[in-house]
Amino acid sequence: MDKLIRVENVTKQFAGHTALDDVSLEIPRGSVYGLLGPNGAGKTTLIRIINRITAPDKGRVWFDGHLLAPEDVPHIGYLPEERGLYKSMKVGEQALYFAQLKGLSKQEATRRLKEWFVKFGIESWWNKKVSELSKGMAQKVQFIVTVLHKPQLLIFDEPFSGFDPINANLLKQEILALRDQGATVIFSTHNMSSVEEVCDHITLINKSHNILSGSLRDIRRSHGGNIFEVDFRGEREPLVAALGKAPCTILDTSASDDEALENISAAHSLKIHIPKDEDIRDVVGIINATTSLRSFSEVIPSMNDIFIRAVAGEL
Amino acid sequence: MGKIAIIAGREFNERVRKKSFIITTILMPIAFVAIMFIPALMMNISSDEKKEVVVVDQSGLVGNRLQDSSSLHYTLSDKTAEEVAAENNDIFGILIVGKDVATNPTNVQLLTYESSTINIENEIAGQISSIIESEKLKAYNIEDIDAILEAIETPVSLRVKQLGESGETKESSSVLNIALAYIFGFLIYMFVFLYGNMVMQGVIEEKSNKVMEVMVSSVKPFQLMMGKILGIASVAVTQFVIWVVFILVVGSAAMSIFGLNELVASAGSAAAMDPAAAAMMSSSMPAIDEEMVAIIKTVTDPAYLFRILGGFLVYFIGGYLLYAAMFAAVGSAVDNEKDTNNLQLPITLPLMVALFVMLSAMQDPNGPLAFWCSIIPFTSPIVMMVRLPYGVPGWELGLSIGLLVVTFVAIVYLAGKIYRVGVFMYGKKPTLAELIKWARYKY
Repeated sequence: MDKLIRVENVTKQFAGHTALDDVSLEIPRGSVYGLLGPNGAGKTTLIRIINRITAPDKGRVWFDGHLLAPEDVPHIGYLPEERGLYKSMKVGEQALYFAQLKGLSKQEATRRLKEWFVKFGIESWWNKKVSELSKGMAQKVQFIVTVLHKPQLLIFDEPFSGFDPINANLLKQEILALRDQGATVIFSTHNMSSVEEVCDHITLINKSHNILSGSLRDIRRSHGGNIFEVDFRGEREPLVAALGKAPCTILDTSASDDEALENISAAHSLKIHIPKDEDIRDVVGIINATTSLRSFSEVIPSMNDIFIRAVAGEL
Repeated sequence: MGKIAIIAGREFNERVRKKSFIITTILMPIAFVAIMFIPALMMNISSDEKKEVVVVDQSGLVGNRLQDSSSLHYTLSDKTAEEVAAENNDIFGILIVGKDVATNPTNVQLLTYESSTINIENEIAGQISSIIESEKLKAYNIEDIDAILEAIETPVSLRVKQLGESGETKESSSVLNIALAYIFGFLIYMFVFLYGNMVMQGVIEEKSNKVMEVMVSSVKPFQLMMGKILGIASVAVTQFVIWVVFILVVGSAAMSIFGLNELVASAGSAAAMDPAAAAMMSSSMPAIDEEMVAIIKTVTDPAYLFRILGGFLVYFIGGYLLYAAMFAAVGSAVDNEKDTNNLQLPITLPLMVALFVMLSAMQDPNGPLAFWCSIIPFTSPIVMMVRLPYGVPGWELGLSIGLLVVTFVAIVYLAGKIYRVGVFMYGKKPTLAELIKWARYKY
């Protein structure tokens, strides 16, 4: 897959601290790329460098095969974390203004805006002042303004903050739709569940370093703890006894406690750890011989777990 | 250029539609008239109250001949100064005229209870010296001295005409020149300050509500700055044009009401007539004095009006662009308005200097101070406006405008650089030295 953005060894220092230290990453074209990291890690600085708001002290940024130049900036749509709208202007007028600045003609801008306003069900806001809108409402307007000129690269900084679940979902669908139409999306967030739902690739930045980069699937796989979940029919005790002889350890022995037994599904499932160098087939063979196996699957860690462990330095 | 026009269009529409714009456009001419006339009015009011001066006349020459003026009331007293002082304390002061005042004119004292003014002192000294002078004249024993004095009294009224470069003469009125110099000089000062500040506030607003961040992917910061400056400039020009139209309408309405049109016509014909006839006319119509004729002829002269109004537009736009760019740079550097104070110093200082030079240039429009300050770009918009009504040589005007243009291009360029760095810099309050450093950043 070819890369739309390549960040090479970028370092950026501000008076007194280093915001980015030798960060490199590659953003595949047509993907949703998650830029993760705790507050103050340097995500926004990296976004600002890609946006050409600030220049890196060291390192280079490539855009679509050439060094990032001022001419590339119009192909970027940026939704900053702190929303920027003129408070005393009317919604429609303002959206039209920004659209015209992005090079759309007035008619074209109006047509596209009407489309989006209908899609988001906000036609009645056209003549409202921005100061009358709630935070989430203003954000919808801002989202429309960001994507209206169909840029190649979209950068969303915390797009879901301030949204209720219904609107967050709506936005998620739209982001995925934009990707399917060919846009590349950079997506900066701390909200890990949204990362799992929309991101194809991620980079985790912590303390100005890139500590983890790659496709979401590979990362979650490779950071699994070789833990497997076994669902079965029949008695629990014989299986536990049989597995005692197998090359694995049972993790949730506490499930045999009376309390846990009340939960039927827990009674019919077990979590086991199989060391990397053991053959999984042996274990499955033993289970099969003892009871009837309903399912056997690897437990893939959530991005949340990976994030917390990575930031704590446990990976 | 297209984007700058879009931005300027927004600035213009947003501001012209505001209530505050409509209100200031209506109220400003009223306020301006009030500022000019209220002090004069106040002076008249305060002078209604006459100050008491008790005269202790040791010479017997002056005391009974002092006449009350509009502000002073004299009471002759035969007591000594000490006695008067002991019994009176609600008077303005005691005038002690020495016994030998005729031969020793310095032997006059004014003791006052409150601070005295130049006007009062001139008034008293003037009266005393004319009393003594006429007393001395009497000593020559000329017959009918009073009749002779009355017959020789000749108040001269100057008709000033300025020699043009091609030798023609034109009427000029110093009263009108001073009035126009003051009004237009002050108007430029006010416009540059008000609208420059508007630019600064607009920049701070855009920075603090993060509109800048949204705009950056579609507009260059320089375009944003220029769009804002030009948009607000067009608001100012609109306001000025409204005022000019307003004045013309009100002025011509007033003229037709008070029959001043005839006056203009007669003034025109009076000038064409021979001096004797003109003198007769002006004696038959005492309301029109020479000054009035000159004023009316001047303000109805298209070339003169063009010079003043055209000069105003050129210097307003030049001066405004120069200062607005600096205001924009300062606005970009701070997070809120409170932090602008010390950064504004390099802007307000030359403006203040220009204002002070303007006041002195009204006295001496062709002196070296006025000349240099009307050439130097930071003060020229205001100072040159003061000199314009008096007439300025073409080369000086050209040099001044040329320098103004070169400087504003340079300042706009530098301000654009500072702005570029400033609008994305949050949190800390920069110093002037840092601003200058920003101007050298490379992007």
